Amino acid sequence: MSDYTNYTKQEMQAVTIGRQIKDGQVVIVGTGLPLIGAALAKSVYAPGCNLIVESGLMDCAPIEVPRSVGDCRFMAHCGSQWTNTRFVGFEANEWLHDSNRLIAFIGGAQIDPYGNVNSTCIGDYHNPKTRFTGSGGANGIATFSNTIIMMQHQKRRFIEKIDYLTSPGWMDGPGGRERAGLPGNRGPQMVVTDLGVMKFDEETKRMYLAGYYPFSSVEEIVESTGFEIDVTKAVELEAPTPEVIKLIREVIDPGQAFIKVPKPNKEAIQITA
Amino acid sequence: MSSKVYSLQEAVAKFVEDGDQLAMGGFTTNRKPYAVVSEILRQGKTDFIGQPGPGGGDWDMLIGEGRVKAYINCYTANSGVTNVSRRFRDAIEKGKMLFEDYSQDVAMLMLHASSLGFPFFPVRLMIGTDLVNKWGISREVRETIDKLPNEKFVYMDNPFNPGEKLVAVPTPKIDLAIIHAQKASPDGTVSIEGNEFHDVDIAIAAKKVIVSCEELVSNEVIRRDPNVLSIPSMCVDAVVHAPYGAHPSQCYNYYDYDNPFLKVYDQASKTDEDFDAFVKEWVYETGSHEAYLDKLGATRLINLKVVPGLGYAQCKA
Repeated sequence: MSDYTNYTKQEMQAVTIGRQIKDGQVVIVGTGLPLIGAALAKSVYAPGCNLIVESGLMDCAPIEVPRSVGDCRFMAHCGSQWTNTRFVGFEANEWLHDSNRLIAFIGGAQIDPYGNVNSTCIGDYHNPKTRFTGSGGANGIATFSNTIIMMQHQKRRFIEKIDYLTSPGWMDGPGGRERAGLPGNRGPQMVVTDLGVMKFDEETKRMYLAGYYPFSSVEEIVESTGFEIDVTKAVELEAPTPEVIKLIREVIDPGQAFIKVPKPNKEAIQITA
Repeated sequence: MSSKVYSLQEAVAKFVEDGDQLAMGGFTTNRKPYAVVSEILRQGKTDFIGQPGPGGGDWDMLIGEGRVKAYINCYTANSGVTNVSRRFRDAIEKGKMLFEDYSQDVAMLMLHASSLGFPFFPVRLMIGTDLVNKWGISREVRETIDKLPNEKFVYMDNPFNPGEKLVAVPTPKIDLAIIHAQKASPDGTVSIEGNEFHDVDIAIAAKKVIVSCEELVSNEVIRRDPNVLSIPSMCVDAVVHAPYGAHPSQCYNYYDYDNPFLKVYDQASKTDEDFDAFVKEWVYETGSHEAYLDKLGATRLINLKVVPGLGYAQCKA
């Protein structure tokens, strides 16, 4: 019989994401973990949410896991096939209408204490050590929408000063977005990593540790963060239930496009009672 | 009415010119015009100014073969297989290609603005970030390239809301658009199934348009349902019948991406030597699109066929 208690770090992240989504929200998803999390939200936590992607596919209901935001798997059964420009217009109008429905997932290679994200390059922009894809839809999303940022938690990625600012967070702190000319009532809400969940202080706009997983610790997170981080509000987050893990593995991503199922006694998180 | 049907070789020879400002349709691994790209490589055409939109292996191959003089990037990946296209990455890391970065939204709005004939386009995007603070191509270099505007962008005050800072971006003058569609007719009428992406925008904006298609259908048949038509005949210069012309990317209602092939490309594009061997084998030595399909083999192509009603093939893990 299959074991659904041996959840992985990835599954913990996907479940953490899924739990953030509320009914009535319009969720801008990408592929990978955010999509798994959003699919989980749509089937368990918030069936009344709507999924949209930056290629312009609106109100998506994919049956099979798409690998790209322009994938035919997002087109089939979607609510409308718009161009990207209409997607951007929708995003901007949500802000112009003062609607509070949008929540978006973006990823990045580096992040600073104020949630500014780099997805362009490591090192000098003109002579980079490592070059990435570039903005994609992330810049526009971070401009007009509240975001949840997905990161791998490593000291070299959580740094005081990022090499290139692709997607704006809270800029340099309170009032930073307004000073730059960005919508001030939008911004990063949360950072979800393989070790825990960070949020942003209402007053200082700096990142603080909000939660860690049953398999991670405050010490490990501090050790993996390249800047000072307040840990006084951190709590342990609940492990996913076997029912939810079963749903991920058998219904949402049975092809293991993004979530690898652990081999028996390998990769699995050891859960001690 | 005269026919716009050309062979792949004739269309590329006649309408693709060195130095063209080039835009291509599709999205990373969806409906990318690979057959035309391969023929461009074979005919040695070069020095393109790239306006890719969300690029994939199509642009990565042109870049890897040194055919792109300047690349206006917003996102370049074979998503899900190669998260950053490797020849694109190599060309930038080794300083081999002029490149500029815009956000995807801005890049697409620029193409849309071109299609609307706008002189420029104001946006509230990129503000506060290095997308405005850093220029990939300096003003000095831009001044030496006729087809690039001298400014990446210009800040402007919103004339209707004084005090609001906007970013005005230029509208690119597209010479050539290359689009792969499901159906086209000899007069140049085009039907795109699934998302059109920016394809209609570039078809209007470009001076020359080449459309390759899965099915060449008669002028009468294609008009039976105007609801499914995307581009009118006047916007199209050449129609090329190229079944599986988007392989290894997807083509809605026809075939899915060829994931094993994309994985081969992922590996091959890691080094100069392996990439050279890949294009030698799959582009130059095949010599034609028909020979490329023969090399892939019927069984392989049949296995990519979509499930009717789904638009894609079912996952084979």
